[in-house]
Amino acid sequence: MDIQTFENVAELGKLTFSEEERGTLLADMNEIVLIMDTVKDVDITYDPILDNRNRYLDSLREDISAPSFETEKILSNAKASDGCFTVPKVVE
Amino acid sequence: MIFINETVASLRQKLDKKEISARELTQSYLDEISKTDVNLDSFVTVCTETALKQAESAQKKIDGGQALPLTGIPLAIKDNICTEGVLTTCASKMLDNFIPPYSATVIEKLSAQDAVFLGKTSMDEFAMGSTTQTAFRKKTKNPYDTEKVPGGSSGGSAAAVSAGLCAASLGSDTGGSIRQPSSFCGVTGLKPTYSRVSRYGLIAFASSLDQIGPIARSAEDCGIILNAISGFDPHDGTSSKKSPEDFTAKIGAGVKGLKIGIPKEFFSDAVDTEVKEAVLKAAETYKSMGAELVDCSLPSLKFAVAAYYLISSAEAASNLARFDGIKYGHRSEKGATFNELVKNSRSEGFGREVKRRIMLGNYALSSGYYDAYYGKAMALKQRFREEYKAIFEQCDFIITPTAPNTAFRMDDNITDPAKVYLADICTVTVNIASLPAITTTCGYDKTGMPIGMSLVGNMWNEAQIIGACDAFEKTFTKISPKGGR
Repeated sequence: MDIQTFENVAELGKLTFSEEERGTLLADMNEIVLIMDTVKDVDITYDPILDNRNRYLDSLREDISAPSFETEKILSNAKASDGCFTVPKVVE
Repeated sequence: MIFINETVASLRQKLDKKEISARELTQSYLDEISKTDVNLDSFVTVCTETALKQAESAQKKIDGGQALPLTGIPLAIKDNICTEGVLTTCASKMLDNFIPPYSATVIEKLSAQDAVFLGKTSMDEFAMGSTTQTAFRKKTKNPYDTEKVPGGSSGGSAAAVSAGLCAASLGSDTGGSIRQPSSFCGVTGLKPTYSRVSRYGLIAFASSLDQIGPIARSAEDCGIILNAISGFDPHDGTSSKKSPEDFTAKIGAGVKGLKIGIPKEFFSDAVDTEVKEAVLKAAETYKSMGAELVDCSLPSLKFAVAAYYLISSAEAASNLARFDGIKYGHRSEKGATFNELVKNSRSEGFGREVKRRIMLGNYALSSGYYDAYYGKAMALKQRFREEYKAIFEQCDFIITPTAPNTAFRMDDNITDPAKVYLADICTVTVNIASLPAITTTCGYDKTGMPIGMSLVGNMWNEAQIIGACDAFEKTFTKISPKGGR
C-alpha cells in the first residue's frame, strides 16, 4: 500500500492520522495486505446465484406502524442537543 | 461463599430447594467481584443495586413456584450488548458514556426468566481482537495466570465465569470471540448457528458473521442459556423462524455410534504439539465411548484467515460509519465544519486496532481492489460452505483445537497484528460457514494453562454438539484457577 492509497482509504473512513501514526499504521497495513494477498492465488469466482439459493432469510415483516422511541430518549446520548441533533453549519 | 465450581444447573437446585436465596447468591457474587476483580479487570460496570432488586423479584417467583431455568441466576453480559439505562461502552472511548435507550432482545429474553444481571464485562474494542488488551479501560487478565491474556474478544465474560464471579455470561462471536477466550480461561463456550439468536441490540461488528452465545461452566449450562435466548425476533431480519427446541435434549445421550471427523489441516505444524496431543487424546476418549473417528479434510483452510479478515473488515468499515459524534458517542471539541467534526470525533474515539480494520475494510472495498479482495473472499465463503457440506456427509461433527496455542503473556505477540490475526485459523471458518461450535477444556499445558477443543456441527445441530461436549466433560477433571485471589 503506497502513501497515496493510504490517504485515499483514510479519507473513505473519515480518519486522520499524525505523522507518527501514519508511519506505524502504513507499516502494519503492508504486513496485513501480504496475508490478504493470498486470496488472489485462488482460482474461483463468486457466484451470487449460489448465495441466493442458500438464503434462509425468506421474508420481510409486514409494513405496520408501531410505537417509536420518545424523542427525549433518543437525544439523551447526543452531546449537543436542543430538542434536536445539532451539527456545525453546513450551508454558507 | 465462593461458587467457582457451581453450574447453572446446580445453582437452580440450590435455589429451588431454598438452600440459598437469590439475594444471598447475588450478594456472594457481588462480594467476590468486589474482592477479586481488582486483579482481573473483567467487569467494566457492576450493577450492584439493580442486581439485588432483580434478585428480590426472582425470589418472589421462586417462592411462588414459578421459577424458570434462569430465575435468580446471576449472569454477566458482554459490554457490546445493549442494556437499557446501563452503560454499554463496547470497551471504546467512542462509547465511553453511552447509555442505550433500549435493551437487546437477548436481555429481554433473560429478563423474562428473571435472571439477575451482575454487570457488563470487558472485551476488545468493538469486539476486534483476541486478547482483550485493545479495551479502552479494562484490560482483562487470565484467572489461571494474571500475567497472561484471557483471549478475546469476549475476554471479560470468559474470565468472569472462570474466576467464579458469575454463574455464566453472554459473549459474542464473529471469528472465535466466544470460543478462543473460553479455551484460554478453561470454560465452555458456544457459538450458535448464524441467525439462531437475535442480534438486535448487539453493537454490530460484521453483521453476516456476528452471533451472541453463552459462556458457562458446562455444556449443559450452555444449552440451558441457549434455550432462553434463541428464537425468532421481528427486530432482526436475519433471525431464523425455526421452531424452538430443547438444546439440552442430548445431555446424557453419549456418543455411541456417532462419526467424529478429524480434519487434518487443523493439526498442522502451526498448532502447538501439546494442544494437538490433548485434542487427539480427547478424540480417543470419544472412540472409547463408542464413537467412530473419521479422517476428513478442509482443503481451503490456508485461505481462511485472509478471507475472514477481508469479509469482517469490509462489514466493519460499513457498520462503523455510523459513529460520527452527532447522534451518540464521542464528539470532538474540535471541528469548524461537519466534515472536520466527524473526522476528529472518529479519530479521537476509535483505538488503533479499530482504525486498522476500518482501513483494511475500505481498502478491500475500494475501486480497483474490490474483485481481487472482497470478491475472492466471498467466493471462498462459498467454497468453505461446500467443503463443510462434504465433511458433514461423512461425519456427525468434527473435532479441532480451539486455538493453535494456550494463553500467552501480555507482552508476547500482541503488538504484531499480522501474528495475532494468523492465530485465528482454528475458529474463523465456523463463522464464515454459519455453523455452530462449542469449546471445552480437554487438557492443560506444562505451565498449567487450559487447552481447548472445539466440536463443530452442521447448521442447526447445536443439541448434538452440546450432548457430545457434555459426554466428554463428564470424563474430564477440571483444575480450578486461582482466579486472581
